[in-house]
Amino acid sequence: MAFAHAVPDASGSRWIPSTCGMCLHGCGIKVLVRDGVALKIEGDETNPDNLGKLCPKGNAAISRLYDSSRVLTPLKRTNPQKGPGVDPKWVPISWDEAYEMAARELGRVRQDDPRKLLCALGDFQRILLWGWPAVFGSPNFFTSLGNYCGGSYHPVNGSVDGSFAAINDYERCNYWIQIGSGDGFSSHLHLSGSAKRMADARMRGMRVVTLDPRCSVAAAKADEWIPTLPGTDRAFVLGMAHVLLHELKQYDREFLRDKTNAPYLVKSDGNLLRNAAGKAMVWDSKQNLAKPWDEISPESMALEGTFTFDGNCVRTGFQVWKDILADHTPERMGEICTVPADTIRRIAREFVEAAQIGSTIQIEGKTYPFRPAALNYYRGSQSHANGLFDNLAYKMFNMLVGNIDVPGGHLGVPLDHRGFFVSPGEDGVLKPEPHQLHPAPAFKYPPDSTHLMEWFPIGFDAGQLNTETLLDPQRFGLNYQPEAMLIYHSNPLWNLPETDKVEQIMRRMKFIVAIDIQHTESTQWADVFLPDRTFLESTLLNCLEPPVVTGHSLRQPVVEPLGDTRDAYDILTELAERLGFRDDWNDLLNVVCGFTAKPQYLLDPDRRYSDEELWDRYARSIYGDDHGLDWFKQHGHAVRYRTPEETFLPYGDLRIPFYFEFIKRTGDQMRKNLEQAGVPNWPLDNYQPLPFWKNSQVIDDGARGYEFYAITFKESLHTFADTLVMPWLSEVSEKDAIHGGILMNSATAGQLNIRTGDRIRLSSPAGTIEGAAQVIEGIHPQVFGVSNAITRSVVTNPRVKQKGSHFNRLLTGSMQYTDSATGGLESTARVRVEKLS
Amino acid sequence: MARLGMVIDLRRCIGCNACTLACKQENGTPEDIHYARVITREVGTYPATKRTFLPVLCNHCEDAPCAQACPSGATWIREDGIVMVDRNKCIGCRACAVACPYMNRHFIERGLLENGYSTDGLSPYEAVKFTEFEEGTMTKCTLCAHRVDAGLQPACVITCPTDARIFGDWDDPQGKLQKLVDERGGWSLLPECKTKPKVYYLDE
Repeated sequence: MAFAHAVPDASGSRWIPSTCGMCLHGCGIKVLVRDGVALKIEGDETNPDNLGKLCPKGNAAISRLYDSSRVLTPLKRTNPQKGPGVDPKWVPISWDEAYEMAARELGRVRQDDPRKLLCALGDFQRILLWGWPAVFGSPNFFTSLGNYCGGSYHPVNGSVDGSFAAINDYERCNYWIQIGSGDGFSSHLHLSGSAKRMADARMRGMRVVTLDPRCSVAAAKADEWIPTLPGTDRAFVLGMAHVLLHELKQYDREFLRDKTNAPYLVKSDGNLLRNAAGKAMVWDSKQNLAKPWDEISPESMALEGTFTFDGNCVRTGFQVWKDILADHTPERMGEICTVPADTIRRIAREFVEAAQIGSTIQIEGKTYPFRPAALNYYRGSQSHANGLFDNLAYKMFNMLVGNIDVPGGHLGVPLDHRGFFVSPGEDGVLKPEPHQLHPAPAFKYPPDSTHLMEWFPIGFDAGQLNTETLLDPQRFGLNYQPEAMLIYHSNPLWNLPETDKVEQIMRRMKFIVAIDIQHTESTQWADVFLPDRTFLESTLLNCLEPPVVTGHSLRQPVVEPLGDTRDAYDILTELAERLGFRDDWNDLLNVVCGFTAKPQYLLDPDRRYSDEELWDRYARSIYGDDHGLDWFKQHGHAVRYRTPEETFLPYGDLRIPFYFEFIKRTGDQMRKNLEQAGVPNWPLDNYQPLPFWKNSQVIDDGARGYEFYAITFKESLHTFADTLVMPWLSEVSEKDAIHGGILMNSATAGQLNIRTGDRIRLSSPAGTIEGAAQVIEGIHPQVFGVSNAITRSVVTNPRVKQKGSHFNRLLTGSMQYTDSATGGLESTARVRVEKLS
Repeated sequence: MARLGMVIDLRRCIGCNACTLACKQENGTPEDIHYARVITREVGTYPATKRTFLPVLCNHCEDAPCAQACPSGATWIREDGIVMVDRNKCIGCRACAVACPYMNRHFIERGLLENGYSTDGLSPYEAVKFTEFEEGTMTKCTLCAHRVDAGLQPACVITCPTDARIFGDWDDPQGKLQKLVDERGGWSLLPECKTKPKVYYLDE
């Protein structure tokens, strides 16, 4: 019988290796194709990243490839009116006409002032293309990009050990505290393989304690769920640090003394004590005097203490934090995060006991410190207006037990195949690498960029600031008004806060060009739509934040591209050519591909390269000339486990920062820069060397009558905007109460007389959303939860229900709700609640 | 002879629905038909709350009430114990759906195969997959019999990120199924229905 199902048979079907593109990470896959039709996607069992496993999104990818609402030909808008719900009256046009229109309009802008182009670029797997706006001449990012999740997270990881992300050691950790993260359970860092590793760890008895305002999957599967108020997890962790330092007095003295700058002496002005040669000083506890950090035996170096030097009081960095934490008692911290003080004490004790401070382990003949207890965290715990403090607190709590990058502990995850960015900085401490996606921008006034990237020397691209700057440009000295927009697989009307203001800005655009697979809230405003190919029809090499492996996996076309679509690389290259900067575009690719370091692979500025040519060079430049694209097409991937040497102690003999003096100094420099420029009232209060508790605007909004908190979340069925409108996925999420409406606690519902299904309205200082109430037990009584599954309002596939409870309308896109040091946005909002029916 | 079945380890399961979607794409079932599903439930009251995840599929019962109810002989049981339905014999009376206490029988409504997940016909993928279905007849989980016959494991098993699903033969003395149930205790759904399911669950 000729079977329609996915078993290879004699009829010419074959498995083609490739890489999943349903989230940014890229698990290894193989695709069964027969007669040119993709019939099944499975995890590639030869790829150690995901071990043959595949999450529901990857399993649904075929439905996206063949989605009837894909755009398969270039389109031109014929309705000059624009707005939400306004039919653009698209008509199909040829690629030549589409390119001609786009090049003419963008060319006009470029000639006038290239900064007048706003760029909303997404598509994390094609990160190589993110430099296109820079070559055009625009610094502007009009999208939230990774800032929504990692605005403070990535800079702190990069500053501690040159990593981009981090994860606890699945293989050896015995006590895992998880805060506001789906790692190993529902999201982040290569879910399929991570879920397997987490399940194995739990089966061998690893204890999991989860902090989350909502009973997430991580909370549901944990040994203990501790509900907290959004944005207050840091209080819990600072309370635990207090317990370790002031009550139990248990911490890894040797690690802190020998592997961090915690013993370095700090003056009362917050700067490190340096000698005339500029060397950081430490205290020799035997001779009772200050010495340069590298002229003393470790045993003599004081980790703690307050000393007198030249008549002035100096303290070790460790002592400064210890003193700060003296009043961060579990009682005080517990009141902030709504967790009983006894619970904070108990978890701190369990954690430090599980950490086995002082123990070692042999791995492949080498002895490492062994610290099988670690705290893992992601968006929910630190995507807040004090996100820098959040991240510092979590990292430093881990440092207290000496678990950074050691077996069992908290392990840095490099951005890509290049591994940790480690190089010597000042004072024997590794050089902080807060910027890994582009070079750190120099301060500039007036600023060039609409999101003020020049004012965030250690931050990320704070896309949420666009609304504040563009609607009040004088305040920021912004001396031009953007006129055009390039949207490439990004949805600023969905991913930025304060949608009404985003609309106001989009209304001012004289021309918008969009590159995407399907129409979105944002592309509906475009004048020209250029249809991109899905990941099953395009080529690239991918290696993004793999937690335990390294090496590239090939994405390759498994079917003939549908319709008249083009690869985004080809589209942007064609536009570069028509706009007259193909040579500069090639030069930029030379830099981002790393060809400048290997001149034999340099692209010729005068030649145009196809996507396959580019990726072939890229492959050969990394893996050698016998490992070009053909090799990858045959083998699928070059993914392997990272070795112990590549995983553990990447900082080697360098110290990691404990006292983050460079953050303070960056703030001091910013203060000077802004004073010189005459910019008043720019907040600099988060440029602090050590974390402590302070309220954020969100907490203070409580006093303005916003009684409740609103959070958004995602689980394994969904990730970015794309998956929310995929019928295979939405028909499953629609059946789960968690995605059925706006979540609220039953006790709160009782008080407000709200039942499941009642229409409710949440109003924040920024905006309002409406939706059906979904009454549950598993959420903090003061918190309302909005699954990302119910946030889209433009849905093109007729089988997907429009839900439209657009959470981001509740967020505020302004400095008041932004981390002043990192640009990280505040991802929770205070709300009032009304029952509508 | 064999008694093929499955053990699902609820301690490992994270309710991610990879099984649901792997089954969907393996079998290409029409809109709203899922042979594999995950039933999520909330238990307890705040803050002592948990969410539980129960992945379900056809239990391939030894005393299958669907087979007993089938008047046309369309429902049949393979030698290896897989409960099948022959669409050529099925008269669409839906007696099996009524008889199955697990709601794992699915009727393909008239018109359902005209469109897939759109309103304008079938995608190339659906055009291939929908040849396996017939309007007005029943369809169900076959434990991926086509894969089993090719020496493969069911789609929901191989994709499971946490290895929560263990496929095997209850009669295999070296097999894992009975051993797991003996070690950790195991239970099947609705034992009071005396259907003798071949899908067992291991507790959280």
